[in-house]
Amino acid sequence: MTQGNIQFAQSESKIKKKKLKKQNKSLVISFVSVLMFLLLWEIASQNEWVNPLFVSSPIKIAQAAVVMIQEVSFWENMKVSGYEFVVGFALAIVIGIPIGVFSGWNTNFNAVVNPFISGLYVTPKVALLPVIVIVFGIGPVSKIVIVFLMAFFPIVMSAQKAMLTLDQNLIKAARTFNANEYQIFKTIALPSTVPFLLNGIRLGIGQGLIAVVVGELFASTAGIGYQLTSNGQNLQTDRMFVGILVITITGLILTLLLGVIEKRFSSWKPDIGS
Amino acid sequence: MAITESIQNVKLSTRFLNVTYVNNKTGAEVTALENINFDIKDGEFICIVGPSGCGKTTFLNTVVGLLKPSKGEILLDQKKIDGPGNDRAMVFQNPSLLPWKTVLDNVLYGVELQKLLSEDKKQEAKEFIEMVGLKGYENHYPHELSGGMQQRVNLARALTVNPSLLLLDEPFSALDAQTREFMQGELLRIWSETKKTSLFITHQIDEAVFLADRVFVFGARPGRVVDVINVTIPRPRDLHVKRSPEFINLVDHIWSIIEKESSKQGFVNK
Ligand SMILES: Nc1ncnc2c1ncn2[C@@H]1O[C@H](COP(=O)(O)OP(=O)(O)O)[C@@H](O)[C@H]1O
Ligand SMILES: [Mg+2]
Repeated sequence: MTQGNIQFAQSESKIKKKKLKKQNKSLVISFVSVLMFLLLWEIASQNEWVNPLFVSSPIKIAQAAVVMIQEVSFWENMKVSGYEFVVGFALAIVIGIPIGVFSGWNTNFNAVVNPFISGLYVTPKVALLPVIVIVFGIGPVSKIVIVFLMAFFPIVMSAQKAMLTLDQNLIKAARTFNANEYQIFKTIALPSTVPFLLNGIRLGIGQGLIAVVVGELFASTAGIGYQLTSNGQNLQTDRMFVGILVITITGLILTLLLGVIEKRFSSWKPDIGS
Repeated sequence: MAITESIQNVKLSTRFLNVTYVNNKTGAEVTALENINFDIKDGEFICIVGPSGCGKTTFLNTVVGLLKPSKGEILLDQKKIDGPGNDRAMVFQNPSLLPWKTVLDNVLYGVELQKLLSEDKKQEAKEFIEMVGLKGYENHYPHELSGGMQQRVNLARALTVNPSLLLLDEPFSALDAQTREFMQGELLRIWSETKKTSLFITHQIDEAVFLADRVFVFGARPGRVVDVINVTIPRPRDLHVKRSPEFINLVDHIWSIIEKESSKQGFVNK
């Protein structure tokens, strides 16, 4: 039996090595693919196959970026957008997770909150922007509210879903050991939600970033979205692309960070290849 | 039919035990168990066999306290069973381990729920892990273990709460034939070391005969005890026992009882 397990472990590490090789190869291919795209873009722009005023070019964007990161206003805008996103997103997590978990656990609480959650879920949150701006003004608060609203739903829904898919066998086993409701909640329900929550948070990040930008585009006095608008009015496409790039990179970094957290939290899960 | 035993050393006794399920929608009642009467002695290994749907799981769930009798009662050490308690532990057909806990933490989970976690218990848990043959796997996660190994964790978890009655509901039925035979031998070894009174459910007759001091044959519709067979094969038993004429005769005998019962019911089992 023990010998069998050793063999099992060995073959497992072999599989892991193979997987690593495969991953490295895909990484190279992805890198080349991006490089080719940038090259094509540059060539198309320089030869004016497409109007450079519309699409700018990688080199021009890089030059604009170098200029912009030396501007005070750029960092001011970053700070404002970052603040709006962080506060709105933190609120979505702090309020969304408990509401989702408790509504999945307690049917009465679910009956109270579910009409609102289901109703608002299908409402395009950006449609609420005009109202939000009237109520909260064109400052950061209105953006915090829209970030919260858009990030809240993926998080709440993922928590609810996690509670609905609890392993009843585990709960039954716990009950035979005389477990009370609180113990079942703490030792089974809560840990079960982690993978679902991380997924909800991932979706929430995407939604939250959209919310910041759309909110600022709609009405604002500062922020990346504000910068995009003013650059757009001056037809500075290169500067606009820098703004877009900043948002993209932020999204990538946040998702990457989440991946690290996910790995830490779910070392108990069989890795099903990514 | 009542099976009377001398009162001394009685561990578990059921008195006219009836369990009915009530359908939530229609309100219709299904009698899953009808007038179960028997006594089990301290340290006995009892196997329950019977066609699927005859109420074996229902019976075990009632003993462990997840279900309440609709009539009659179950006495454990002369005390009426009323809900789950620290004196019983169950091993399920599916291992039901917490995937995010290590083997050691899973084995300690029962004690944790009973709020009896201590350094001594941790030590005991490690000893049971060794007893079930998983020394060195304390920090592994369930998904890293085979089905048979997971069932060992399940067993170690039950043993660590130090129950006076061990309940096992088809614990080996999900394992392949070879692992299953191996685990049967292992279980007997562990049982002889711990001397726990055990109630083991199976639908495999040879498994029951191999393990048990006595085999209770259940019949279906309603679930009840049809017969009780004494297994006189001496212990310690090893897998060679399964080829002895005595063993084969007992298996055949139980087969014929179940067959007769099934034909009476108007359906053929298997
Ligand atoms: N939760 C339940 N609700 C209603 N009927 C049930 C329930 N569980 C089991 N039964 C019925 O009770 C009978 C006994 O089931 P069970 O104890 O699972 O049998 P076994 O374990 O011997 O296969 C079956 O007829 C089954 O349909
Ligand atoms: Mg069953």
